[in-house]
Amino acid sequence: MPTEPQSRDTGGMIVAAIFILIGVLALWDTFDYTDADSFVFPRTVAAAMIVFCIGLIAWSLAHPIDVGSRRAQSTPRRVGLVTAMLIAALLMPYTGFLLSGLLAFAAIVWLAMYDPWTRGRLIVYPLVGSAIVLGFYFLFTKVLLVPLPTGRLFIG
Amino acid sequence: MDSLGYLLAALTPYHVALAIGGVVAGTVVGSLPGLTATMAVAVLIPITFSMEPASALILMGAIYTGAIYGGAYAAILLNTPGTPSAIATTFDGYPMAKRGDGDLAITLACIASVCGGLVGALFLLFLAPPLANVALSFGPVEYFWLAILGLTLISALSQGNLLKGLIGACFGLLLSCIGVAEISADVRLTFGSQTLLGGIETVSALIGLYCIPVLIDLVATPDRHLKVEDVSRGFRLHEALDISWRSKFNLARSSVLGTLVGILPGAGGSIAGLVAYSEARRSSKQQQDFGHGAPEGVQATESANNATVGGGFIPTLVLGIPGTPPDAVILGALLIQGVRTGPNLFTEHGSIVYVFIWGLLLATVLMLPIGLLIGRYAYRSIVTVPKALLVPTVAFMTLIGTYAIRNSVSDVAIMIVLGVLGWVLGRFGFSASPIVLGLILGSIAEQGFVQGWIIGAAADDLWGQFFGRPISVGIFAFILLSLFSPLLLSRFRVKRELTGAD
Repeated sequence: MPTEPQSRDTGGMIVAAIFILIGVLALWDTFDYTDADSFVFPRTVAAAMIVFCIGLIAWSLAHPIDVGSRRAQSTPRRVGLVTAMLIAALLMPYTGFLLSGLLAFAAIVWLAMYDPWTRGRLIVYPLVGSAIVLGFYFLFTKVLLVPLPTGRLFIG
Repeated sequence: MDSLGYLLAALTPYHVALAIGGVVAGTVVGSLPGLTATMAVAVLIPITFSMEPASALILMGAIYTGAIYGGAYAAILLNTPGTPSAIATTFDGYPMAKRGDGDLAITLACIASVCGGLVGALFLLFLAPPLANVALSFGPVEYFWLAILGLTLISALSQGNLLKGLIGACFGLLLSCIGVAEISADVRLTFGSQTLLGGIETVSALIGLYCIPVLIDLVATPDRHLKVEDVSRGFRLHEALDISWRSKFNLARSSVLGTLVGILPGAGGSIAGLVAYSEARRSSKQQQDFGHGAPEGVQATESANNATVGGGFIPTLVLGIPGTPPDAVILGALLIQGVRTGPNLFTEHGSIVYVFIWGLLLATVLMLPIGLLIGRYAYRSIVTVPKALLVPTVAFMTLIGTYAIRNSVSDVAIMIVLGVLGWVLGRFGFSASPIVLGLILGSIAEQGFVQGWIIGAAADDLWGQFFGRPISVGIFAFILLSLFSPLLLSRFRVKRELTGAD
């Protein structure tokens, strides 16, 4: 029976090292606080986190783990999804929620599309997408009375 | 108001409509492979912000219970669990569908889910109030230890290494400290950033940590072009009821097990389902049928995972410590509404809690007709929704939902960044749940710790303050047990295997 290849958990150790850095930064930050009420808890937690991270690194050095094979997946699409969402969030105050939402929706449809663009899909997908965005926009602004940004660009 | 009054308040047309809508929405989201019950609650939660707390809880409970049941469709008909809690449903559900009993398996799953849901909700109704009375005697130090117990349990029970879970929990606790301190007004851990001054909004963080990693993975792979197993026509309700009656002990045992697992912080439907499945198999006279389409396997898993809904609400409402990940999201939503869960909730806000519990019972009962109808008529259309429309819809819901919490673009950006962080950490075996629990329990843990520290320092008895009170010692013993039991169990297992090999 084939077994999973074994190796050290290098990724886990790198993340633990980054968490040690975060812990040290948190500890350093606590020395600026004026009140014991403010520093006693984050200082204790940061110290505990550093200890656990050192423990994890030591454990990982001594114990190899099973490294499963990973399926081929598209990194550009992942990056694209996050970028589209971040741009939509940053554009919101300028273009308004509706326009940035429509743009993000269109971009993510394009990113998540693996099938060929047939004429039917070219007609149906934008219509469905617009209906979803407009439906939620209406629900939040008119029913739930959430003041979604209208956009400085169009107000002047 | 008496019990009848609470029941009548839960039966208003508005609450019935919320229960129906919640079960339908939850079932639809839960039935989509890749989308979890936690995600269903997280993306739909902003709709509840303008509601009364009891109504919001009924809707959230209905979404949650529907989503857990919805996971069974894909497990039975596609051999892919719609939600992680339906993993064990695939073991026997799919073989049943392959031999032409898919319709029967779905009806059995629906009946089992209703049974489990009712048992969990009844436990909540009868067990939570006396527990709340006990919890009234807890002081700040006990709450600190309870929060730590929750964190250690979730670290031990979540996937991966215990140390990784503990690191995640500490990271979550640190995230909860970001912003202006409540008592001293010190600005903490913002490193000069104006965006972080307001702190990390809990629900936005939950939406990011639970939803964005799922979206990132969904967009990275092509549609699976799912082939739904053909099911024969009909509900086969009489046959299913007959089988359910014959395995009533299995249903009862699995429901109770699911409720108990749900009470443990962090142990959700997936663990409950697997525990109940293995117990049903162990105690069955036809063990050889399990894995080849044994109805008892489907019944055990589905009753146990739905029982976690009521079970998980017990620590959530009584102690403010979420029993399952969706409970964490619901707890965050309640905090936004200004409802602080804890033992006082039962005495000061009885109308909220009891109306909700009756509402949850109502939603569970409604799941029978709704679940059967969706499984019979709508499932094929739901599961074949193209990913190219599903991913942007969920992404858009996370954007609008997060913005709606505080009308803040910063929250949206923080949600996305935390989501990416959650995805990266997940790749290296750091689960999101300990981080989330750390973030939620941070304020309870800090309040208890600081108060205990100050009192202990003033009395010159820090040790006695944290370790000298009987309840604290009891909880601390459980913490040690949760930390070291996985290690002891694995050693015991190795020893037993070695003895067996000899």
